[in-house]
Amino acid sequence: MSLAELQKLSTRSGGARVKQETPDNKAALFFLGPWLVGAVALTIGPMAASLYLAFTDYNLLQDPRWIGLANFERMLEDDRLHKSIEVTFTYVAFGVPAQLAVALLLAIALDRGMRGLPFYRSAFYLPSLLGASVAIAVLWRLIFGSEGLFNSILGTLGIDSSTSWIANPDTALWTIVMLHVWTFGSPMVIFLAGLRQIPREYYEAASTDGASPLRQFRSITLPLLTPIIFFNLVLAIINSFQAFTQAFVVSGGTGGPSDSTLFYTLYLYQEGFGAFRMGYASALAWLLVVIVGAFTVINFWASRFWVHYDD
Amino acid sequence: MTTETTTAHRPLETETVPSASPQVRQPRSETRRRLLGFLRHVALLALVVVSLYPVLWMIVSSLRPDGFIFGNASLVLNTFEIENYTGGWNALGAPFSTYLLNSAVVVAGAIVGNLVTCSMAAYAFARLRFRFQRPAFAIMLLMIMLPVHVVIVPQYVLWAQTGLVNSFWPLVIPKFLATDGFFVFLMVQFIRGLPRELDEAARIDGAGHGRTFFQILLPLMTPALATTAIFTFIWTWNDFFSQLIYLTDPNLYTVPVALRSFIDAQSQSSYGSMFAMSVVSVIPLLVAFTLGQKYLVRGIATTGGK
Amino acid sequence: MRLTTSSARRAAAAVATTAALLGLTACGTGEQPGSGSEGEAPELSEEAVTLRVTWWGGDSRHPLTQEAIEAFEEKHPNIKVEGAFADWGGYWDKLATQTAGGNAPDIMQMDELYLASYADRGALYDLEQTTQLDTSALDPNIVDLGRSDGTLYGMPISTTAFGILANTDLLDELGLTLPDTTTWTWDDLSAFAEEVSEASDGEVVGISPLNNGYSLQLWARQHGEALFSGGAVSISPETLAGYFQQALDWTESGAAASASRQAELAGVSIDQSDFSTRKQALLFSQITQIPAYEAATGGATLEPVKIPTEDANEADYSYLKPGMYWSVSSTSKHPAEAALLIDFLVNDPEAGQILGTDRGIPSNGTVREAIVDGLEPGQQRAAEFVAAEEEYIGAAPEITPNGASELDTLIARYLEDVLFESQTPDQAAEAFIDQLDATIKSAN
Repeated sequence: MSLAELQKLSTRSGGARVKQETPDNKAALFFLGPWLVGAVALTIGPMAASLYLAFTDYNLLQDPRWIGLANFERMLEDDRLHKSIEVTFTYVAFGVPAQLAVALLLAIALDRGMRGLPFYRSAFYLPSLLGASVAIAVLWRLIFGSEGLFNSILGTLGIDSSTSWIANPDTALWTIVMLHVWTFGSPMVIFLAGLRQIPREYYEAASTDGASPLRQFRSITLPLLTPIIFFNLVLAIINSFQAFTQAFVVSGGTGGPSDSTLFYTLYLYQEGFGAFRMGYASALAWLLVVIVGAFTVINFWASRFWVHYDD
Repeated sequence: MTTETTTAHRPLETETVPSASPQVRQPRSETRRRLLGFLRHVALLALVVVSLYPVLWMIVSSLRPDGFIFGNASLVLNTFEIENYTGGWNALGAPFSTYLLNSAVVVAGAIVGNLVTCSMAAYAFARLRFRFQRPAFAIMLLMIMLPVHVVIVPQYVLWAQTGLVNSFWPLVIPKFLATDGFFVFLMVQFIRGLPRELDEAARIDGAGHGRTFFQILLPLMTPALATTAIFTFIWTWNDFFSQLIYLTDPNLYTVPVALRSFIDAQSQSSYGSMFAMSVVSVIPLLVAFTLGQKYLVRGIATTGGK
Repeated sequence: MRLTTSSARRAAAAVATTAALLGLTACGTGEQPGSGSEGEAPELSEEAVTLRVTWWGGDSRHPLTQEAIEAFEEKHPNIKVEGAFADWGGYWDKLATQTAGGNAPDIMQMDELYLASYADRGALYDLEQTTQLDTSALDPNIVDLGRSDGTLYGMPISTTAFGILANTDLLDELGLTLPDTTTWTWDDLSAFAEEVSEASDGEVVGISPLNNGYSLQLWARQHGEALFSGGAVSISPETLAGYFQQALDWTESGAAASASRQAELAGVSIDQSDFSTRKQALLFSQITQIPAYEAATGGATLEPVKIPTEDANEADYSYLKPGMYWSVSSTSKHPAEAALLIDFLVNDPEAGQILGTDRGIPSNGTVREAIVDGLEPGQQRAAEFVAAEEEYIGAAPEITPNGASELDTLIARYLEDVLFESQTPDQAAEAFIDQLDATIKSAN
């Protein structure tokens, strides 16, 4: 996995200009000092330990026992793991774009001067404050249960439904995707911030040229916002691959019905803490790192073609 | 954040009213514009209802007696069980203010720690050239990607050896060591969006990296710092797992740990009290966001473009 | 991070060293002093001792336990006790982490599902090594359920029996009366449950399927088998398939709610269950949960009745199960004091008065009698039921073996597959046994 390339990409804007100067090793040591201490003392150790545990049989209560690649071999035949990968990919593939689209649309709707902006912003952020709490878990049942609000609404529209959307293996995951979309507050806030960064005179010039609002959006807003979209995309993908608490909303953490909401991290947690197979859980964690790392590298690579850096 | 537009390099101008409409002057029917504006408000208000509903429902539920909370999605309240608040406040042995205060201490420490050390690390990654820069950045990203459940045990072992478990230190010290890669990355992106001419000019004037960072960049990073502060607040306030693991003395319990203690999967649970205390504990979050969001947006408007 | 062979080897070595430095290889509990079964009985210290106790539960349990702890501290001024609590899910995560970190609490509340998993991995202390803990006031059958491989690792706190709770208020409203439940068979139950659903036009269902380890054990015993024997799964696929088939039949006949309704309510707290919201008339449950369900139903009268059998004369299939245990960590530096505290919490009438029936009906007969008059009606009915269950009680079964702590989750998962018809009962039974067996083997 070439994370080095990733790094190269992320700092490429700065690289060229400072190249002639002497390296700032001393200054870097000062600014990076706390981070370095943290990395050495708190982070690298546990990370390395988890990597080591990935090659062991470790039940938390007894010493880990080296078993080589057995954990990774087990992955090949682990049906629940394959199911959890399928679930997680579906969640990421639909949840991330949908949430970012809603967040972006609302950020744009809220961007131009309008009354009550702080109110809307706070109101829209509320679902993100509650996240996947117990209250939301209870409420989600009331909305998407067999006797829930959603079915009542369908009923008034003339569609007779008594399905329990959260308990049907075919639909349960989609209610969590909806929950994900509904907590669009964080990316929206970042989009709003990004929109504010776009110089107003661009729009003025475009208006003078007679460009329609739609065209202005396509030729000014969107390109200049791509770095922000990119940023949100990278983080949303990393975070969504690690979706965990969301699963407790529908299944109380079992991953049901019929493993239809068995997220990768949930499965990892069940293996590590539920079944005392922390060695296998660590192996799963590093597989996830490889998957997410690959996505991140691809993301950075692809960003050359669509992210508009003006330098 | 990563835009370095040519206009961004111009001298900064302050825009005191960030939400003022851009001067888009187009010959267009005034009534049509008003109608569109009205429709937009209607659509947004509809969304507000969707966003507010769960919160309102939680408030209403916190005023219902146990046994009348489930199976009731309506917002109509015909009981007013204030006892959920008075009883819930004292139900767990210590008054709930203890947990609020504990959470506040942890959150305050985390915010200060993240603001100081993540911004410093971000400056190094965004503006300095140094050895092992790439591996360092890669490790930072790895830290975001590794699920917490497999590092928590080794981390706990570490803290147990220092004898600092059962205190706030394992929750706060990491923040002072910039272990939150998310915010480092966030601020790297923000800093890269700031015109490089600014610090180069400062360097020519003889300013060292310290002065450049503290006097030139930091003031311009208000939005990034506000975002960090707000997100740290919310995420730390709601973080259950690490607080559960590290705190054992009930007098040190934080809000999320305390809230869970109302519920027992095997016997009867005090959902009313749980909801009441959830409402109480959402208030600081709401206040924090409402106050913080101004800086979040205004900051950028005054620093980024014109 | 592309690793060459030599750097990979170096990295692996470094990683192993780090892990060793971190103490992961030393903090396990296997070789700790005090965990062995030999050695002299630990003695009480004259000096100041601090004990850490931890338990799970809801908000009513915490103040009561703290109060009992204070009473203990008054009696033993040199012992200071620090209590800690968590919710059920968080409790096990925290306990595992603390144990892994070599920092386990001295005394922990333990569940039957986890007892062998902790004991067989050396995390628990042999309670009979101490002289401070008296088990004589407990039924020996109950005490045996605190043993793994013959060693006592868990002191039963309470006992409970499995049965059916009948919401008689609801049945009255529907104009139905329970059949003779002392001799009823599974067919009688099925017929009655269907009757409930019909009488209410589907508004109220009769029953929900059996779905946990306790009930599966009873089911096996009714078929002359045992769920586990010799630390391995011993229930036959046929018997297990019958267990799943029963659930499927009820779901299809309407005696129970639809598969998706059941799935919807899987894993919710008891307050949200159909039984609590008066949409279900009968419920398989631990009888000692009567007060909890009475509160959750808003004060309905719940009558405890025995589970049906295949044939009306069947006996000896039943057993009383400890509700919870107190266990001592094998790494505790003060096992004698820990045993003393457990003895106080379980055997002392003063503690019994304070704790009441919060953890179920006390396992100690003397304490039980001392508090029985003060019990609420619901809890009193439960106590009576447990006493009456004597008639059907046989030898205690083996406890859930090491590695099978996920038994209940596993049952629920396969049951869901059966109800959603992605597996037939026969397939599910085979797969279930295979998986449980593999889990147990990999843990031992």
